Amino acid sequence: MAQQTLLSPAELAYLHSSLSLSPPIRPDGRTSKQFRPLTAETGILPGTNGSARVCLSDGTEAIVGVKAEIEKTVDPLGGEHYQEYVKSASGVGGGDAEADRSAARGEWLEMTVEIPGLRDDDAGTVFLAELLREALLADGEFAKKLWINRRFHWRLYLDILLISPPLSYPLPLLSLTTHLALLATRLPRLKSEGDEDPMFDDDWEAAPFLYPREGATTGPRPSITLLVVAVGDSILFDPSKEELAVADSALAVSLCEVRTQREQGGMEVDSGRELRLVSMRTIDPPSRLTPPGVPSTANLAASGTSDTTQQKQQQRAEEHPQEGVWKAPLGGTRFAVLDSIMQAVLEKGGVADEVLDGLEGVDLA
Amino acid sequence: MPLDTSTYSLALLRIDGRRWNDLRRLHAQIHTQDAADGSSYLEMGHTKVMCVVTGPAEPQAGQQKRGTGGGGQAGGQKDGASIVVNVVVAGFSSVDRKRRGRNDRRIQEMEITIQKALAANLHVHLFPHSTITVSLHVLSQDGSLLAALINATTLALIDAGIPMTDYITACTAGSTSSYAAGDDSADPLLDLNTQEEQELPYLTVATLGDSDKVAVLVCESRVQVSRLEGMLVVGVDGCRQMRRLLDGIVRQKGSKMIKEGAVQRSDMMAVSLED
Amino acid sequence: MADRRRVNGPGGSSLPPVYDDGELDAVSRRQRAPDAIRPLYLKTGVTPSASGSAYLEIEPREGEYGSGMKLACTVHGPRSLPRSAPFSPYMVLSTHVKFAPFATKQRRGYLRDSSEKDLSTHLETALRGALIADRWPKSGVDVVVTIIEGESTRQDAVERRVEEWDVMNVLGGCITVASAAIADAGIDCVDTVSGGVAALVAGKDGDETSIVLDPVALEHDSILAACCVAYLPNRDEITNLWFKGRLPSAASYNHQSLVSRAVQASKGTHGLISASLSEVIGNSQN
Repeated sequence: MAQQTLLSPAELAYLHSSLSLSPPIRPDGRTSKQFRPLTAETGILPGTNGSARVCLSDGTEAIVGVKAEIEKTVDPLGGEHYQEYVKSASGVGGGDAEADRSAARGEWLEMTVEIPGLRDDDAGTVFLAELLREALLADGEFAKKLWINRRFHWRLYLDILLISPPLSYPLPLLSLTTHLALLATRLPRLKSEGDEDPMFDDDWEAAPFLYPREGATTGPRPSITLLVVAVGDSILFDPSKEELAVADSALAVSLCEVRTQREQGGMEVDSGRELRLVSMRTIDPPSRLTPPGVPSTANLAASGTSDTTQQKQQQRAEEHPQEGVWKAPLGGTRFAVLDSIMQAVLEKGGVADEVLDGLEGVDLA
Repeated sequence: MPLDTSTYSLALLRIDGRRWNDLRRLHAQIHTQDAADGSSYLEMGHTKVMCVVTGPAEPQAGQQKRGTGGGGQAGGQKDGASIVVNVVVAGFSSVDRKRRGRNDRRIQEMEITIQKALAANLHVHLFPHSTITVSLHVLSQDGSLLAALINATTLALIDAGIPMTDYITACTAGSTSSYAAGDDSADPLLDLNTQEEQELPYLTVATLGDSDKVAVLVCESRVQVSRLEGMLVVGVDGCRQMRRLLDGIVRQKGSKMIKEGAVQRSDMMAVSLED
Repeated sequence: MADRRRVNGPGGSSLPPVYDDGELDAVSRRQRAPDAIRPLYLKTGVTPSASGSAYLEIEPREGEYGSGMKLACTVHGPRSLPRSAPFSPYMVLSTHVKFAPFATKQRRGYLRDSSEKDLSTHLETALRGALIADRWPKSGVDVVVTIIEGESTRQDAVERRVEEWDVMNVLGGCITVASAAIADAGIDCVDTVSGGVAALVAGKDGDETSIVLDPVALEHDSILAACCVAYLPNRDEITNLWFKGRLPSAASYNHQSLVSRAVQASKGTHGLISASLSEVIGNSQN
């Protein structure tokens, strides 16, 4: 789904071999675990519950707007007595808000991705939206935030717009923008109590954030999704379009930061950070669709050999790839490679920490 | 919420406190995005749009089928660049979230209107066999949407350096009382917001630069012929004001670029650097 | 958009009453060993008009009738691309996964919804790694998987939230059946890819976590995390990995162990594919 790169087989082979060196040499001079710089701002659209805009240094830009609407909770059985039924079945007494909250459903979050030049029902776009949605819901806590009472809930619409043409696979950009937009999201303060029709405070200043700010901030934060590729033995984070075009395999890894607070010796509070891997998906690397190179020994025009020997040589070339001749990767990824990707992502003080520290520096309006 | 027009005649102030010929606050930026050939951001009151221009570039396979441009021909035309306009209205742009598909008729109509206006006024014959892609994003809407889209497109095309005869600037004009009131002495209004658009007859007009040449005229509401001329005059005058504002933004950006050394100053430039 | 070309059934669904007689719970426990997968039935060459086809059925659980998953896959092609398509040095693979309208409790529409499109993308990734696509330049192949019957029982109408985990099982089945159909069509592959699912399940009180192969969501109190892989056994490579869920931080399990258990499951499925394919070869030689 990322646009096809216009690189020749020779360029691809050169890029692949320079990236598989140790340490890898990337076209833009980054180290293997370095992210591209980005600028971000939040609260850009007063008409939404939360919004964010992120520009990457390669010029790609995304805007995310969050809108919340109240919706009546319809139970899946289509009957009036569903809640009572569930209650009696699970043996929970009335008034237990925690148990009620577990009835929260992931469907309350709706997500759309708009990419210029692609249809909105394109399989690739749907895949991106599902990936991001799954990562947000995977911690099991997100949907509970949308619960108002047993009869009503918030329906959250997350609209993701890619403003620029899709230069590289836009997954990390969209994920970081979504993360910031959710951190900036506020829902009106509830004034009513219990199961009555919800009433809200008119004062927007009093509206609490979906993800609480300063103070006792414990619990999971919105997830971020990183794109990691493996080229030879190297593992590269935040690949550019050219790097993706030679990747042997690509993996989207979603992480969720869980804040824990431990009291240390009375006053001192140490806010720790725990990273949790919540979802992983392989992405079909565009390298599989790159044109293969032809070794000069198999080139009829160059060697001028007869048909039969040429056929034989071509067959040999197919079986034993020659050094320096580009061939699209075949087969899958070894478990050891996946394992090292997972370890690199979850590494303490690694890339994920660096990204989260960077995002924390963004001024949340 | 119905708009209360009865108070207008008392103080001659509109619902948001403007006089009949006041434009809303205009804020615009050009060159907002590094990767694009041309880009702009424009706010007219609470209507906010972004525009990204790509090209003139070699037409991409499959693009022509989707866009509403090129006069229906596939590939770049022989005698000039084809123009493709895509408008995306974000789900969060209006007060109530409403999702609009790519194939929404109203959006398609806006795309075609903009594409026709550009095709007539850009020097497309300089770029045969190529495509100019204009992609517009609506982030927030509060009336005069088509006008804002046209103005943003003009700025982005200037940023992309695509030669054109003059600025295409647009503006809406309305009338202070509804059609049913049958009030022939109704005052014309300039630059309507959503509330006024829903209640009052209005038209969108775009002109070419300082001239009176009309590039776009869209009127979808019912209005007495006698009122039309007044509305059109006010609209064209608004377009002139708009041109001055946009021109100011372009000049400001230009002098900033010269100061930063991004562009060499030459004697040919009619840009004053003192401010 | 209303679908006006077909006569559709009523939009809403009606359900027979559910009586809480306490017996449902006893039936739905997992009887298999944690490392056992459910018995499968796989047959290739079921659709004569397609160039390759396969049918997969998963045995229903004990004490139930007619609720195992049933999948059919047809492969069309390789055939030449339409004249208007741009040149491709490879075979162009397109995958479609569709639930039959009657496959699940909730009726599915004729138009593909987002979860079906998502599954198609997963399947495409899984298959593309296995195909030797450069042997068919300028040609296309369509892989169509239809889920004739999904894994849903009356009970899971109550526990609707397990549906998100069932999708993993569906994907595992899709990969297996599509792989057999591609082999039936005679398209060159590096290996027969097979799907496998493993999940980390918790006991009644949320403790006693363990990893099981081929999980059925209804048989467990809660599923904490699940993983579906598409695996090439002879090359020991994974072409598609899909993991989601949360692992308890204190548990001794990690992602690696979950992935390797899923690989175990797909090794089990692979045996079935090769048995089924060699049976066909044996029949044709006689």
